[in-house]
Amino acid sequence: MDLKELKALLRLMEGNDVEELEVEEGGRRVRIRRRPVPGRVPPAAMNPAPPAATSVAATASPLSPMAAAAETAGLIPVESPMVGTFYRAPAPGAEPYVKEGDLIQKGTVVCIIEAMKLMNEIEAEVKGRIARILAENGQPVEFGQRLFLIEPA
Amino acid sequence: MFSKVLIANRGEIAVRIIRACRELGIRTVAVFSQADADAMHVQLADESVCIGPPPPAQSYLQVPRIISAAEITGAEAIHPGYGFLAENPQFAEVCENCGIHFIGPPASSIQMMGDKAAARRLAARSGVPVLPGTEHPVRELEEARRAAREIGYPVIIKASAGGGGKGMRVVINPEGLESALATAAAEAAAAFGDAGVYLERFLSDPRHVEFQILIDAHGQGIHLGERDCSIQRRHQKLVEEAPSPALTDSLRRAMGEAALSVARAAGYRNAGTVEFLLDERGDFFFMEMNTRIQVEHPVTEMVTGLDLVKAQFRIAAGEPLPVTQEEVRLTGHSLECRINAEDPDRFLPSPGKVTNFRSPGGPGIRVDSHAYVGYIVPPYYDSLLAKLIVHGRDRDEAIARMQRALDEMVIQGVQTTIPFHQKVLRHPDFLAGKTSTRFLDRLTQEQ
Repeated sequence: MDLKELKALLRLMEGNDVEELEVEEGGRRVRIRRRPVPGRVPPAAMNPAPPAATSVAATASPLSPMAAAAETAGLIPVESPMVGTFYRAPAPGAEPYVKEGDLIQKGTVVCIIEAMKLMNEIEAEVKGRIARILAENGQPVEFGQRLFLIEPA
Repeated sequence: MFSKVLIANRGEIAVRIIRACRELGIRTVAVFSQADADAMHVQLADESVCIGPPPPAQSYLQVPRIISAAEITGAEAIHPGYGFLAENPQFAEVCENCGIHFIGPPASSIQMMGDKAAARRLAARSGVPVLPGTEHPVRELEEARRAAREIGYPVIIKASAGGGGKGMRVVINPEGLESALATAAAEAAAAFGDAGVYLERFLSDPRHVEFQILIDAHGQGIHLGERDCSIQRRHQKLVEEAPSPALTDSLRRAMGEAALSVARAAGYRNAGTVEFLLDERGDFFFMEMNTRIQVEHPVTEMVTGLDLVKAQFRIAAGEPLPVTQEEVRLTGHSLECRINAEDPDRFLPSPGKVTNFRSPGGPGIRVDSHAYVGYIVPPYYDSLLAKLIVHGRDRDEAIARMQRALDEMVIQGVQTTIPFHQKVLRHPDFLAGKTSTRFLDRLTQEQ
């Protein structure tokens, strides 16, 4: 299941006013819900592609506007300011900068994006708690791609 | 041949390059700004990478992001298209340093030909006629006065570091020189970061005739004939044709050889275009060299039967040229109209959503476009929406085809310059082949 197929599914859902869709293919399951049930955190719309075999780079907003709004209600995204490879830790084998649930300050380094052999430390712009980590270690990321969701404090 | 190429461009040329890659079995990576997420080049490419917000300076001109996009996707080569980074020698050099093939000439040739005054000197040294002008940029009024006296009025002031009509002023007599110099230099500084200007004899009613050349990595070079691009508005080309109604076989041979001499002197490789001005007496003068594939390359493709973008990839991959000079045949006549998303009378940009798009068809018609129904023309980039290209067995048939095609073509939702082209294609001077760079001025005055 790649991003083009996902986008096609989302269009199909919107076009036919379908609220929820679950698709399983080749051992991967995707569930997409357009309107959240109050009190539940909506499930992720996709599994990230494995880093070694990325055939399509993720686009900035893979979710339809309604699903995206529901998922991130109140959460502040950290978006990639550059094109490169996302790393969770300063070096292979080292502890990741942050984990889900961690408290961070404005300016806390949350990840590295490697671009043209340079390691760029990416800092959080708000104080809060890491609610979700949206990119996988070693994954290629593009400009504007959401890396983290932060619950502001 | 390369297995994966990144296209560092957008719009119709990105689509054109992707098409050539498809035919060569090369996988494609598109880069796009956030305004181009639904653009056709993104839809057609095998992979795509967002490289920034809409403004070109933050996206299509962002060298680190483009190089990074090539690295994360494993692209072995980058095709720069035209505009943006296509003639940026630093970009070509960064590619070379990062082990990425730049589909185009060496950075040094881009650098050399990018300095317009230096390019003129190079042409003169190669025995190619140049318009009388200053060898070096002028920086002082007295120097300019002396030079202008020698060259002979009228003179034109031009920016050394750029083109596209910026930093240009025509001076009819000595009284106008001082203020024209000041404004031209200021414009040049603003547009190109370099206030250097040079002076040149101004021809009152020349034709703009350019030659397509190809040079491979083994030193073989050919020219593929000319394109007459005289129909221009503020130095922006609007209609192009091949061959030029003004050229004889012997003039073509002479100009073609001159074009190759200049290119070789610059150490050139891959596809390039040498521009000349041709006056009424048949004297030609070197103007500049464009070190990239050009917008109007399709008219050459139509009359030669060669795919120039595929040739660019083949040359970059080390293959020899597809034909020898003797095998180059110009057959029939081709015309191209640049259809812009603009008000057809005042040429003001008309961004918006394309609600209807019907391409013409039938014999001898080709449309190169990135537009489609539902496409939103963004306001951040140039307004070229489609290139309408025709081929016929002679100029009359090509004209009849273009007239038919313009009448068939429907684009709604944005304003386009189709009505303007319909006027040009019915103008007696155009039909008689009497076009020059002042053609459009005359057309506007008649209205």
